[in-house]
Amino acid sequence: MPFAPHRRLALAGLAAVAALVAAPAQANPTLGKPAPAFSVVDSTGKTRTLSEFRGKTVVLEWTNEGCPYVQKHYDGGAMQDLQKRAARDGVIWLSIISSAPGKQGYKTPAEANAWRTRTGAAPAAILIDPKGQVGRAYGAKTTPHMYIVNPAGTLVYMGGIDDKNSADPATLAGAKNFVVAALADMKAGRSVAQPVSPPYGCSVKY
Amino acid sequence: MTPRLAGLVLALMALTAPLAQAAVDTGHLQAELVAQTSAIAPGQTVQVALRQEIDKGWHTYWRNPGDSGEATKITWTLPPGWTVGDFVWQAPQPYPVGPLVNYGYSGEVLLPMALTAPAGAPVGQSVTLQARADFLVCEDICIPESAELELVLPVQAQAAEAAGRWAAPIARALDAAPKRADLTARFENGDQGLKLAVTGAALAGLDLAGSYFFPFDGAVIDHAAPQSIERGPQGLTLGLTASYAFQGPEPPEVLVGVLKAGDAFYEIEATVGSLPVEAAGLGPPAPRSSGGSGLGLPVALVFAALGGLILNLMPCVFPILAMKAASLAGHAHEVRGARRQGLAFLAGVLATFLALAGVLILAQAAGAAVGWGFQLQSPPVVAALCLLMLAVALNLSGVFEVGASLQGVGSGLATRGGLSGAFFTGVLAVVVAAPCTAPLMAPALGWALTQTPAAALLVFAALGLGFAAPFVALAFAPKLLARLPRPGPWMTHLRRVLAFPMYGAAAWLLWVLTLQAGPTGMARLLAAAIVLALAAWLFGLSQSRSGGIGLRASAAVLAGLALIATVFPTYPAALPTGAEPSGLVAELPYEPYSAERLAQLQAQGLPVFVNFTAAWCVTCQVNEQVALARQGVADTLAATGTVYLKADWTRKDDVIAAELARHGRAGVPLYLVYDAKGSAPVILPQILTEGAVVRALEAAAG
Repeated sequence: MPFAPHRRLALAGLAAVAALVAAPAQANPTLGKPAPAFSVVDSTGKTRTLSEFRGKTVVLEWTNEGCPYVQKHYDGGAMQDLQKRAARDGVIWLSIISSAPGKQGYKTPAEANAWRTRTGAAPAAILIDPKGQVGRAYGAKTTPHMYIVNPAGTLVYMGGIDDKNSADPATLAGAKNFVVAALADMKAGRSVAQPVSPPYGCSVKY
Repeated sequence: MTPRLAGLVLALMALTAPLAQAAVDTGHLQAELVAQTSAIAPGQTVQVALRQEIDKGWHTYWRNPGDSGEATKITWTLPPGWTVGDFVWQAPQPYPVGPLVNYGYSGEVLLPMALTAPAGAPVGQSVTLQARADFLVCEDICIPESAELELVLPVQAQAAEAAGRWAAPIARALDAAPKRADLTARFENGDQGLKLAVTGAALAGLDLAGSYFFPFDGAVIDHAAPQSIERGPQGLTLGLTASYAFQGPEPPEVLVGVLKAGDAFYEIEATVGSLPVEAAGLGPPAPRSSGGSGLGLPVALVFAALGGLILNLMPCVFPILAMKAASLAGHAHEVRGARRQGLAFLAGVLATFLALAGVLILAQAAGAAVGWGFQLQSPPVVAALCLLMLAVALNLSGVFEVGASLQGVGSGLATRGGLSGAFFTGVLAVVVAAPCTAPLMAPALGWALTQTPAAALLVFAALGLGFAAPFVALAFAPKLLARLPRPGPWMTHLRRVLAFPMYGAAAWLLWVLTLQAGPTGMARLLAAAIVLALAAWLFGLSQSRSGGIGLRASAAVLAGLALIATVFPTYPAALPTGAEPSGLVAELPYEPYSAERLAQLQAQGLPVFVNFTAAWCVTCQVNEQVALARQGVADTLAATGTVYLKADWTRKDDVIAAELARHGRAGVPLYLVYDAKGSAPVILPQILTEGAVVRALEAAAG
């Protein structure tokens, strides 16, 4: 392969250019790259950061109680089951509310705690992000919109919770849950087979 | 027709028409099934449609709902043998929701489907077709709504013709739906970002402003990112922002969707491949006259004339014109000669402006993204202009004289040399005026370059008229001329003084070249300048002696060498694109501009201030010093969290040229303030004050 060195050089050049181009685009999360850092207060008043969970798998779930797509996953207890299973496996599950005050789904810390009790939700924490800073850092578009960060802080999954873009609870049966699949891959030491999928649901009410 | 007969006809019509199903109100829309025919024959295919009448302010979704939402669905319950096809989707509208964009419909929308009866459908009976339609209806919040719908169609022996209230609307919907034309589409996701190129006869000659790609797949592009448009002789190229599908293990190999090309919609399927050259090269389309800068031709002409007038006062122009005017003053009594001089000057000015406009228009037609001031993006031109300024300055300093015309004093005005001298004074004045683009000229020229060539030429002619007006007025008004002071020794002093602004202009061009070509380029230009100065001195020496042929020849050779050295060899590109020219002292933290970065900051809900500037743009530099590099601005940027982006057009940059064109400009400066809500940007005036910038930033931050 007489051309190989040139090609490699060209590829390296391309990569360098791509890196330059991509450099300012860090706010958009990229698979295989460090997940955007954040520092935000949870519903108990405690400041939470992504870095405090270094060494553990972290699931980020954007949520909005008033969203019919979120309700599909909560009303029958499906999301709560996922949260509990995650906790058993030592996975940190963070539910994030990025609704702006006055918009659908916005919650004060007390309201968020009441919602947790009422629904039996079991996230490690509910992050209150009324300015949408965490949401925008991750490019969260919908509720639910799911992200998984591995113990090294690298983003390994982003997208929908499953493959059924519908608010109809009947679609839960037979849906392929991407978060469950990704967590299983990680638990088994495999790389995540499906690392991206289209997120679906209501728009995040920034 | 008797009343009884009429009643019978009505009754028959009622029987043969599909039984009218009342539209179902699902909460935020009315839904119903409608048909293009009033009956159906066994084996016949007719068009039926799901009709939605959506409440004002609410919308439902296209097949790709965009960043959120869900496409309208229909589930049929059909008797055995009956079949129905998929929706024929209408072209969608984008609906921005905060930092997101959805694709969908508002108002009334018909989604047609092809319904086919089985060959054995029993004639004479009516068939009842049932369907459940599911909608996600959104305003700010979204509500899933559904309707159980019915369509009853009589089955008759002969094929049914289109009839009834919905025949025409369904036909129109089918007609308007995006279709495949003979278009070729390719896409490439490289270091230039995701580019989609579409070519085909259907695109030739279309006004491509507002073109947009709606992908079927919601994971391939960032729906909220602006799409750049570049025209080509056979089509167009859209600049898209790749979305997460391109991050996955299997990046997309086809992009399927709807292309909005001007006002037409086509379904396209793009495959990976190198982009056809005939899909690009002609720059962005002219903004629609309804949008953009709403400057009309008369206003543009007035602006151009005013701008031309103001150009007379520019530091590099004024010395030349002042000397010329002074030379006229010496011959106030020679009215005819003065008039002819004035007209020759006017001719020189107009010819040069029209030639410049011609070059610009041709360059644009050839696809170069150029704008006013484009001459100064090329280092050889800057270097040559610098030498020209130096030569004029040396002349004013008295190192040498150029014929009788530029010198003017004591020479006959009616001589032929005087006329051509006046003509070339006009040419020279325009050439040196180009760097001093007056603020008033930019909107007029920007407008002109997005218009037809004829309109552009008119605007440039108006500019020339304004520019030449003071001199011509002087030449045509003997009384004015008479009021000018008589020539005398003071003229020599004036010339010596006026030399200094020209030295200043030369120094400034040297600085511009340093930014463009680095210290090596600067060293070269300085060497050339010294050689030119030597040549000028030798030439001057030859003028003061008799028989100085050898001196003149040496001067010509040296001047030639100096000029060649400025042009050849080519200058190195001193700075990587996007890097800050080291000569600029920036007190405000900023980032280099890119459309992606802007879109991203807007998506993050941050206010953004964009400064389109260039080292060779005097207005830009003045604004920079007087209004931008100020503590008040720095504090306001920090307090409002505004991100400062700088688009440096010192060197040719197609992306920046396209962005300028989008705002109806062909030159810098341009200052845009984007608020946090993603609204259209506020355009700041071309002459800034610190207070105006601070107020605009605060207003945008809310």
